[in-house]
Amino acid sequence: MVDDMTKDRVLELIAAYGAEPGGWPDDERESARVLLSAESDAFAAALEDARALDQMLAREEMPAPSPELAEKILANAPATKPERAGLFGGLSALLFPQGVRWPAGAALASLVMGLVGGYAYASTGIGYDQADSAYFSAFGLDSGADWVSLE
Amino acid sequence: MSGINESDQIARAAGGDRAAQAALVNRNMPIVFRVAYRMLQDRAEAEDVTQETFLRAWKALPDWQPRAKFSTWACTVALNLCRDRLRKKKPVLMDELPERVDSALRPEEALASQQGLQDIAKKIAALPERQREALTLCALEGMSNIEAAATMEVGVRALESLLARARRSLRASLNTELAEG
Repeated sequence: MVDDMTKDRVLELIAAYGAEPGGWPDDERESARVLLSAESDAFAAALEDARALDQMLAREEMPAPSPELAEKILANAPATKPERAGLFGGLSALLFPQGVRWPAGAALASLVMGLVGGYAYASTGIGYDQADSAYFSAFGLDSGADWVSLE
Repeated sequence: MSGINESDQIARAAGGDRAAQAALVNRNMPIVFRVAYRMLQDRAEAEDVTQETFLRAWKALPDWQPRAKFSTWACTVALNLCRDRLRKKKPVLMDELPERVDSALRPEEALASQQGLQDIAKKIAALPERQREALTLCALEGMSNIEAAATMEVGVRALESLLARARRSLRASLNTELAEG
């Protein structure tokens, strides 16, 4: 809403946008309407002229575009990114429904874990013999001597 | 917009979604064609411009920034293409031509004349280029003043001036013809 709406400005709006307030700028419409209804005689002639021209413009004839135009436009539209095709594509989709990035990521994670684990193990200072002992215990054998006896 | 906003629709269209592309074309092709037709007064040329506008749109969609409505962007492109074509046809700067002097007959009298009605399209076509653009976007396509000014890449005051001059020229042109007839 504009506080300083004037008669001249309302006449400018009519001259530029026509007689229908719906076509006037949003921020001036209500102020102009108030002035218009308060002093309707002052704007009657301008409104009459503008309304007649509005009606003529509304009756302007316009040819329709050919029915093929939309098809031609869509024929040039970008296509969907092509699906991975062929035997590899089929297998890949079957084995890795989330995409091939997942197994690649898993392989990388395994590598990192192995490196970190190996480094941590080495940094504990556990010697070869202790490691062997733990290994034998995991198989229910007391020591490396049992391996000798098995041989 | 029915259920889906324009940015989403544009993103889907850019990704190759045929339904989104068709919706974008169905929604915006008519206004682009009408604007081009009013500027060029030739259906085949208007269709060429419409097609070229959408070709540019397909290229622009992947990097689309929602600074303006798609229709505003498309009409700006279409108007520029029309200006290029008009410039090649007619090197005279139409906006520099003088406006016709108003005559005694009023538009409502012209309205009563069948000839006046038939000629309204010709009268619009005869308007100076920038006035025709302003009238097309605001009075005939119902764009807001801000949207039309953005489409034409002019200020709102300049748009208003063009509109007022267009309406004054039309009125004078119709009245003069009736007076002569």
